[in-house]
Amino acid sequence: MGLFDNIFGRKPERSSNVAKERLLTVLVHDRVHLTPADMDQMKREIIEVIERYVEVSNPEAIEVTLTRGESADHLKADIPLGRTRSQ
Amino acid sequence: MAHIITLTSGKGGVGKTTTTANLGTALAMQGQRVVVIDADIGLRNLDVVMGLENRIVYDLVDVVEGRCRTRQALIKDKRFPELFLLPAAQTRDKDAVSPDDMVALCTELGREFDFILIDSPAGIEGGFKNAIAPANQVLIVTTPEMSAVRDADRIVGLVEAYEKGHPKLIINRIKPQMIARGDMMDTSDVVEILAIDLIGIVPDDESIVTSTNRGEVAVLDRNSLAGRAFHNIASRLLGNDVPFLVLEEKPSVLSQFFGRFRTRRT
Ligand SMILES: Nc1ncnc2c1ncn2[C@@H]1O[C@H](COP(=O)(O)OP(=O)(O)OP(=O)(O)O)[C@@H](O)[C@H]1O
Ligand SMILES: [Mg+2]
Repeated sequence: MGLFDNIFGRKPERSSNVAKERLLTVLVHDRVHLTPADMDQMKREIIEVIERYVEVSNPEAIEVTLTRGESADHLKADIPLGRTRSQ
Repeated sequence: MAHIITLTSGKGGVGKTTTTANLGTALAMQGQRVVVIDADIGLRNLDVVMGLENRIVYDLVDVVEGRCRTRQALIKDKRFPELFLLPAAQTRDKDAVSPDDMVALCTELGREFDFILIDSPAGIEGGFKNAIAPANQVLIVTTPEMSAVRDADRIVGLVEAYEKGHPKLIINRIKPQMIARGDMMDTSDVVEILAIDLIGIVPDDESIVTSTNRGEVAVLDRNSLAGRAFHNIASRLLGNDVPFLVLEEKPSVLSQFFGRFRTRRT
C-alpha cells in the first residue's frame, strides 16, 4: 500500500478503521470509570507526592492521560520539572 | 432448569425486540416450550412484532399485582401451540414491577417452559434491572456502529457486575457491502472490541421490515437470510454447533486499489 499511497497521494483512512480506533480509545476511558472530579483529585495527589522529592516547575502544566497500549492500557502522567540546579 | 435468557443492548433500536420474537419462534419451531416476556413497560412492542396485538387482555403488571393468574395473561401464538407471549403493560407506572417480582414470575414459568426469553428495554435503568434479574443467560444485541458498541460494552460490565456470567453477543444489521467498502466495522472488529463470545450475526435485511409489517417473523420466511441467521442462533442456544453465515467479504487489496480510482474520479 505504501507504494500506491506515494503514487496516488494519500487516501483518507477507511471509515470503519477510524470508528474502531475512536471506539477503542473512548472505551479506555469508559472502562476505567474515572470521573473528571476523581481525575482532578488524583492529579493533585500525584503533584503532592512528586513535590516531596523534586521541584515541579508548574503544577498546572501536569498532564494525566489514559492511553491504549498493545496488551494493557496506560495511565500516563507528564510532570514538567524545574531546571534550577540543586543548591 | 429452564433457560431464562434476557436480550439487552444499552442503546435503543438495535433489534432486541426483533431478535426476541424471532428466537422465540425459532425455538418453538424446534419443539421447545417457549414464553417471551415483554419487559419494556410503557412501550409495548413485542406483541405487534409477533402479530398478537389484538389478543391481549392482561399484561405483566396485572400478573405482578395479582389481578390475574399468570396463565391468564399468556397469549398463545397463532401458529405454535407451545409459544406464548406475556405482554408489557402499556400505560402503567414503570415502577410497578421489581426485580424480585421478575424472579418470582420466571421461577413459576420455569416449571412449565423450556425457554423464557425476556425482551429488555433500552438503557440501564430500572427496566433493564428488572429484565436481567431472573436471567441465567444474557444475550447482548448490538449493531456494528460506534454508539451501539460503546453501550454494549457498558452492558457487558453491568452484566458481569450482576454476576450473570459471560454474556454472549449478537451483531445485528450487518451490511456486507458497507463492510466491503471499509465503511462498517466487521464482525471481527466488534468481537475484538467487546471481547465476549459471539452467538450470532444477522444481516440488515428488508424481509425484517416486510415480515414485521404483516405481524409475522422472519424465521417463518424460508427466503429470509435474517430468518436463517435467527434459526442458527436458536440452534446454538440448544447446544448445537452451527457455523456462522458468511455475510461479509473483506475488501481485497485489488478492490481497494480500484476503489481508489473511483474515489479520485468523483
Ligand atoms: N436485521 C434487521 N434488518 C433490517 N431491519 C431491522 C433488523 N433488525 C431490526 N430492524 C428494524 O429496526 C427497528 C428497531 O428494531 P427493534 O424494535 O427490534 O429494536 P429494539 O432494540 O427492540 O428497540 P427499543 O430499544 O426501542 O426497544 C425496527 O424497525 C426493526 O424492523
Ligand atoms: Mg424493543
